Amino acid sequence: MKATRRAFVAGLGAGLCVGAMPRASRADEPSSRAGNVAPPRDTGKGGLSPHVLIHIALDGTTTIVCHRSEMGQGVRSSLPVLIGDEIGVDPARVIVRQAEGDKKYGDQDTDGSSSIRKQYDGYREAGAAARMMLIAAAATRWKVKPDSCTTENHFVIHKPTNRSLAFADVVEAASKLPVPKKNIVLRPIAELKRVADPNLPLIDGVAFVTGTAQFGADVRFPDMLVAVIARPPVVGGHVAKYDATRALAVPGVKKVIEMPVPKPPWLFQPWGGIAVVAENTWAALKGRAALDITWEHGANASYNSDAYREQLLDSVRAPGTTHRDLGNIDTAFTKAAKTVEAEYVVPHLAQMPMEPPVAVARFTNGRAEVWAPTQNPQANRTDVAKLLGLAEEKVTINVTLLGGGFGRKSKSDFVVEAAYLAKHVGDGRPVRVQWLREDDIKQGYYNAVSAQRLRAALDDNGNVTAWHHKTAFTPIGGTFDAKIDTPAAGDLQQGVTDVALAAPNVRAESCKAPLHTRIGWYRSVYNIFHAFAIGSFIDEIAHARGADPRDAWLDVIGPARKLSLAELGIPKLPNYDETLDKHPVDAGRLRNVIKRVTDIANWSNRQGRALGLAAHRSFVSYTAVVISVVPDPVRVFRIDDAWISMDSGTVVNKDRVHAQMEGGLIMGISNALYGGVTMTNGVTDQTNYRDARVARMRDIPHRIHTDLVASTEPPSGVGEPPVPPVGAALANAIFALTGKRLREIPLAKALKI
Amino acid sequence: MKIKINGVDKTLDVDPEMPLLWALRDVLGLTGTKYGCGEALCGACTVHLDGHAVRACVTPVRRAEGRAVTTIEGLSPDGNHPLQQAWVELRVPQCGYCQAGQIMTAAALLAAKPKPTDADIDQSMAGNICRCGTYTRIRAAIKKAAGTPDDAGSK
Amino acid sequence: MLDNAAAARDEIWARRFLAALAENRVSRMRRLLLVLIVASCGGKQSSFTETATLRRAGPNELLPVTDFEVIRDRAPRSRALFGEVARVLVHPRCSNCHPSGDTPHQRMTMELHDPSVVRGPQDNGVAGMECTTCHQDRNQELTRVPGAPKWHLAPIEMAWVGKSVSYICKQIKDPKRNGGKTLAQLVEHNGHDELVAWGWAPGADREPAPGTQPQLGALTAAWVETGAECPEESR
Repeated sequence: MKATRRAFVAGLGAGLCVGAMPRASRADEPSSRAGNVAPPRDTGKGGLSPHVLIHIALDGTTTIVCHRSEMGQGVRSSLPVLIGDEIGVDPARVIVRQAEGDKKYGDQDTDGSSSIRKQYDGYREAGAAARMMLIAAAATRWKVKPDSCTTENHFVIHKPTNRSLAFADVVEAASKLPVPKKNIVLRPIAELKRVADPNLPLIDGVAFVTGTAQFGADVRFPDMLVAVIARPPVVGGHVAKYDATRALAVPGVKKVIEMPVPKPPWLFQPWGGIAVVAENTWAALKGRAALDITWEHGANASYNSDAYREQLLDSVRAPGTTHRDLGNIDTAFTKAAKTVEAEYVVPHLAQMPMEPPVAVARFTNGRAEVWAPTQNPQANRTDVAKLLGLAEEKVTINVTLLGGGFGRKSKSDFVVEAAYLAKHVGDGRPVRVQWLREDDIKQGYYNAVSAQRLRAALDDNGNVTAWHHKTAFTPIGGTFDAKIDTPAAGDLQQGVTDVALAAPNVRAESCKAPLHTRIGWYRSVYNIFHAFAIGSFIDEIAHARGADPRDAWLDVIGPARKLSLAELGIPKLPNYDETLDKHPVDAGRLRNVIKRVTDIANWSNRQGRALGLAAHRSFVSYTAVVISVVPDPVRVFRIDDAWISMDSGTVVNKDRVHAQMEGGLIMGISNALYGGVTMTNGVTDQTNYRDARVARMRDIPHRIHTDLVASTEPPSGVGEPPVPPVGAALANAIFALTGKRLREIPLAKALKI
Repeated sequence: MKIKINGVDKTLDVDPEMPLLWALRDVLGLTGTKYGCGEALCGACTVHLDGHAVRACVTPVRRAEGRAVTTIEGLSPDGNHPLQQAWVELRVPQCGYCQAGQIMTAAALLAAKPKPTDADIDQSMAGNICRCGTYTRIRAAIKKAAGTPDDAGSK
Repeated sequence: MLDNAAAARDEIWARRFLAALAENRVSRMRRLLLVLIVASCGGKQSSFTETATLRRAGPNELLPVTDFEVIRDRAPRSRALFGEVARVLVHPRCSNCHPSGDTPHQRMTMELHDPSVVRGPQDNGVAGMECTTCHQDRNQELTRVPGAPKWHLAPIEMAWVGKSVSYICKQIKDPKRNGGKTLAQLVEHNGHDELVAWGWAPGADREPAPGTQPQLGALTAAWVETGAECPEESR
């Protein structure tokens, strides 16, 4: 049914910030039309500012700050709604302001699926405090008890008499009251109406579809320069010599300079290389292509991912460091009726957000200003200040919309590059450093490359009596400390030591994997390969037992229970920075999503269909996936249907959670089918989406069935948990269809598609 | 070079080989058309040239001389193209970066096939990448805009 | 001596050779052998002896027309000339856009075009994914996209992929399947068409078709002049 104009306008009204309209720009501000509002210089004198995220002006206009980066997870359409509902706002009176990077806002590192789960109570308390102050002011004026009042739609209401006062009428009085610090009264959840609305509109929806949304490269200034950098092809390499004559002859090219050479450990230092600075992007591109550079590649030029794969497999076959130990697996294996064992390999994965890294910076009067699609503006601020030798107060990091992050944009390298060039060649003019897609693929902070070895001992009844998991992967720690070459306990918490198992004998070991690339994190990080291995392995156990995979999963996990550290066989668990009290390892919740997803997939009646099942706990949420495949004459198989059940506790903005399930499932398919960057002599082989392939519409079923568990448990992760079980579910489905067990990603390689 | 852009005559004094993408973004300030790959692989830069979808990142400006270019900013006067409305109603975008290109491609499809089938959608949208994974909603929104039933269950 | 069984083997061998050619694994010696086999598929024993003196062609070289004068009989010379023309036609640079299905091929490995594109009703794609949505009138250097004027697929009746040289020969002569061309127009097309020309200047790091377009034109003309004979299918 066609959307009527009225419905469209109504959709516009609910929850859209007033600031979505274009506004006259000031000379010193970026001149593109923006879907999100630049920080207002002046929110008006007075007004109520009970919390850094909340300001209610004298006329009632309410500014709610979104201090977390918007990269598609919907935080701008969720977090302010939660706070606003707690206050009792009329959404049409709300402006959402994107925060710059500043410690005063608290944690702004948008990763780890933590925006809601880590600060949920704090946000609600902030909103509740504002509400309490408005109510207190009104109650005083009416001479009634505060607890007989409530707020709704920008009014304070005295429930017994239905009297009301607009926020504007009480805000000045409220601003003179002390901000409550204790005895904060939260609303009953049922009153958080918009939070529970399954049709909550996107705050930037109209901007996205009209091209007015402001991403990093959309920040424009009349006098802006554009830089494109030729970075060392091998990690740790540098320029031996270069000739910029031809580059400087390209019309529009202004300057060519060498970037500072980083020293290990890499952290998030810029990469080095030669920067071509020009009047526009095209000139910069042509300029870079005209550079003549001789590289000194350095030690990592010996890195070949084929050979390294063998090295990883050797590593995982040798003894490692034990991080999980229960019972005695050695004895158990000697008594096994049957042993199942398998090795799984997952290469480096590149995040490849649709928007490649980019940043705009300006350096004037000893101040640096940056506009960037960044996941971590506070780290950017520290890193820029350090590089330029400035106090942090002299550095402003403005956060634009991100065209996808997935972990790539939580690193400061691309931001610091822009700041450096702004200072050294900008001469007061802003400089945009534009990464090309090829740059994004070839110089990245890849997800760790891994090899795993799993062994299970089965008794006569097919029960798993011993479970031995060995994992070798390049730990992110090596990016911070060059000596780190073996995953630590904190790394294994992602899908190795937090796995619920019924087996009485369990051991998990980490094995050596020295770094030759920059390693970062990519949406669900180590869970990607741990879940692929475990999810495939349980399917292999099912097959070895002649059992239904769903039964095998439930048997392997064991009964519904919350596993203590002792039961897990580990001394401690970082647990994604949550306590085990609040977020236990809950086998019951994992079993529940397995049951739910297999129900909606009609698993029990699947004769003749090729279905694959897998499940995983990550970021303290629980996800289970079923994928169905059918034969395809040209490409071996086609995914014709998919189901995903997730338990992420209490949620804000259901629709965005469903969208994360859809999107995470698609990204999981993409990773499994096509994922992987490889290196030859230290240089990444892939160049663009032609050989670093990703899932396209034809790889995806026409509809994905998403099932969200209605839960009152504390909020847990949403952005990453949908991804990990998908790869194994797909591989298991392919096994069901073809009888071929695929233990290595990308699956397309083995299938030759 | 004289080009009509979103109904307005513009004169561009640039390298004729400059891709239309950079002319639009850097020179004219129309930043709705996005850079995703620069090699016509992802579709984020899709615009219309005399009504036909072209990928601006590889289309030299000289190809548009004397012709009409439509970008996402000019697809409708006030954002009320049926596709734009359907996209907003179904909350298709996640990060939003690819969506201008998706919509422009879909608009070309609907202009040629007002009631596209799933196969038509597969074929016409095959070249537009979305890393956030909004494909199922894109499909549903195209059908909504076209007024065709969303009988997804089709295998 | 060639007999039917040998001819059958040749045919199978030729097909495999074409596939191997597509995968760029073929040595020069085997290229020469194809010329011999194709030339001799007519079964004339005397021509077999005479073709033994044909020069070896370099991997990306086309034999000039004059080289074929050693084959004194007109018909076998004609067949041999078409064999040389066929080396261009079956080269992936050319065959990629003469698919037997609805999707062009790509690269020397002749994999299916990615992103996925389809033929469409006029052999130039479908709305939103027309050939000229991405392909321009000439190669784009920095962005790697190959281009030539009027970039489009050969109509399905001009499909070459998976077809034998004998079949292609008959097809290319047939006005119902070659776009209504006379033999003279075919010579002109091979020797001068702008889109055909692209095969020798494909841009980026793409391997061009063997020889040059003028050479192809000359070989085609010589083939027509000698009666436009087609190699027989082997059974």
